[in-house]
Amino acid sequence: MRVLDEATLTRIIEQVVAELAQDERPPEKPAPTPAARTEPAAPDIRMPETAGEAGCLPDITEIDIREQYLVEQPEHGEAYADLKRNAPCRLGIGKAGARYKTLPQLEFRAAHSAAQDAVFSDVDEAFIASQGVFLVQSQCDSKDTYLTRPDLGRRLSKAAADTIRERCRAHPTVQIYVSDGLSSAAVSANIPDLLPALLQGLQNYKIDVGTPFFVRYGRVGVMDEVSELLGAEVTCVLIGERPGLITAESMSAYIAYRATVGMPEARRTVLSNIHRSGTNPAEAGAHIADIIKLMLEKKASGTDLKL
Amino acid sequence: MHEEICSVGVDIGTSTTQLIFSRLTIENRASSYTAPRIQIVKKEVVHRSGIYFTPLRSGTEIDAEAVKEIVRKEYAAAGIRPADVRTGAVIITGETARKQNANEVLEALASLAGDFVVATAGPDLESVLSARGAGADRLSEEARTAVANLDVGGGTTNIAVFDKGKLAGVCCLDIGGRLIRVEHGRIAYVYHKIEALARAHGIALRAGDAADVEMLRRVCGLMADQLAQALSRRPPDGQHAGLYTNGGKPLPEAARARAVTYSGGVADCIYTPPEGDVFRYGDVGVLLGQAIRGNADLGGLRLFRPAETIRATVVGAGTHTTEVSGSTIHYARGRLPVKNVPVLRVSEEDEAAPETLRDAIRRQMPMYQPEGRIEQVAIAFSGRSYTSFAAIQKLAAAVTDGAAESIAGGNPLILVVEADIGKVLGNALNVRLDFRKDVICIDGIRTQDGDYVDIGAPVADGHVVPVVVKTLIFNS
Repeated sequence: MRVLDEATLTRIIEQVVAELAQDERPPEKPAPTPAARTEPAAPDIRMPETAGEAGCLPDITEIDIREQYLVEQPEHGEAYADLKRNAPCRLGIGKAGARYKTLPQLEFRAAHSAAQDAVFSDVDEAFIASQGVFLVQSQCDSKDTYLTRPDLGRRLSKAAADTIRERCRAHPTVQIYVSDGLSSAAVSANIPDLLPALLQGLQNYKIDVGTPFFVRYGRVGVMDEVSELLGAEVTCVLIGERPGLITAESMSAYIAYRATVGMPEARRTVLSNIHRSGTNPAEAGAHIADIIKLMLEKKASGTDLKL
Repeated sequence: MHEEICSVGVDIGTSTTQLIFSRLTIENRASSYTAPRIQIVKKEVVHRSGIYFTPLRSGTEIDAEAVKEIVRKEYAAAGIRPADVRTGAVIITGETARKQNANEVLEALASLAGDFVVATAGPDLESVLSARGAGADRLSEEARTAVANLDVGGGTTNIAVFDKGKLAGVCCLDIGGRLIRVEHGRIAYVYHKIEALARAHGIALRAGDAADVEMLRRVCGLMADQLAQALSRRPPDGQHAGLYTNGGKPLPEAARARAVTYSGGVADCIYTPPEGDVFRYGDVGVLLGQAIRGNADLGGLRLFRPAETIRATVVGAGTHTTEVSGSTIHYARGRLPVKNVPVLRVSEEDEAAPETLRDAIRRQMPMYQPEGRIEQVAIAFSGRSYTSFAAIQKLAAAVTDGAAESIAGGNPLILVVEADIGKVLGNALNVRLDFRKDVICIDGIRTQDGDYVDIGAPVADGHVVPVVVKTLIFNS
């Protein structure tokens, strides 16, 4: 490799700086003003100085990406914006040269951070108590163990098994419990609506429900052990889904008829995408009650049960 | 999941009576891991009847028996039994709806045409149905513009404007091909409003006079001018306001058409000017078609070809009246279908808080209880601000308190809401009423004050119900 001497280096730097300066000159012709709707009030992201101590930065996570259309001088902007309203996708967000614009780039990073937070944070214990459920733990002793040892996340700790045996009614028709899974944010966002709606739905069908609880560091497989431990006919876990970049609050219900440890995964029925922009949690709770009712009638779940 | 339902449309118009059968395909568009989302995915016309002249017993009475005979014959021709038909609409349109026995005819047909066929009429609805049948809604969406469909029939011209797929406005004028009838070279009949329109322009039109082509061409030119005024292509003159059917209103200011489609019996004369005797139909339809075609103001609009012309209304009635409810709903077994249930609509302001919602139901309920009799009613609101479980419990309490008197009667409690909360709200009501009341709570359906609603028996494994929202009022 040839080593540049100092003079050459200086020359190159001067040249690049000169080119940059040229780029920053205003264009000869002013660009046509883009339609008002294509430029939402873009938060000023260079703001630390301008915002000052009294000011506050706009929260970019509040932006609804269905409504966000940032292409400048579009051919069919309005039609594209209408299409975009159908799904929260990162399309039609313009570009700066070959790269993202600053705002979408920051939104992307904010969504990524929210996803990471959802995985790495714990559900608040006071919140768990407020939902009328008690707390037990899988065989994982920390988030790190949980993420690196899926096998331990599928088993209850000895203390958990004892507590459940002691505090839960045995042989319920339906056993429901909640678990953090891969999103603690999903639990706090959905359970206050989802759990009571599910319980009311079952009450509506006069279906007997056991004592609900919360499993920390739990994976879906815990439900098999819970089912065996309590002798439940149907077991249902409401568990945080692996977060994506659209929402970190999505929750799933995994439901199985007479679940047993080691049974095939195909025996589980799942209802996913429960969050405020997916299936609204209260309505989802009512719908899960219907699935459970059908499961009890057909004595089957997963691929054996036609919904 | 894939299910087909058979729908019928019967249109008894001023000049013609027609019938079509169509097949609506419903499917679950959601994946098997999410809540179902069942939609009508395909609408297909499977049988078109001939086009009959509407049988009239006299100038003011429809011949109900003859109409029934036509319908019976067409069922046989299509090989469809009334019991096969799950949904649809019978619609009496245009001038015919003003005939004395229109209601009686609707009732006679509703019983013949399957278990779940509704009777519906009214110029506003007709405007919408014919525009949908003509495909103006789809054209406006695809071309990203505002398309007016002018359904030019025998007695009326029904106009509906769709802007990028959404309904922007409707109106109806007494302009039509059979408002002047010609027999044996003489004028046999002139509708009084057309006579007045001609007179205002110095043309005397009298039944019994010789049918002078040039004079009638000028009169048709005046009618075409009125249509241009209705679309705001030129300022309204002194006669314009009086030409709206039943003293109806013009199009709203915002419904400004940039393109146009024509349907109805006169439409064929607009798109393909016929040759030969202009009075061959015994009226001025051909001349009116030519006048519309030649009108410079209307010519400034982009002209589209409709999917249907003379059959637009009947296709609209047969294929575009039925919607399906949301896919997570609540209903008591065995209480559906219900028909012709009046809608008690709670306004957006009133539903803002549970207390005002309760009071609004209480206040409006007496209007649905003629002489204190408790009758079936459907309570409707958007429900958009009630999505949390706690809010839904409050909503259920407000409804049961507000409708306490009606709930005490023997009819099921029916709710029709827009937001996706039908099932959870239904459960809440059921629990609150101690399981002692049949509750039907459907969502995904938009209604207005004064509407009537038909809710069909469940389809798609019981996930959804077909719904027809209609306006039964003849003179809206």
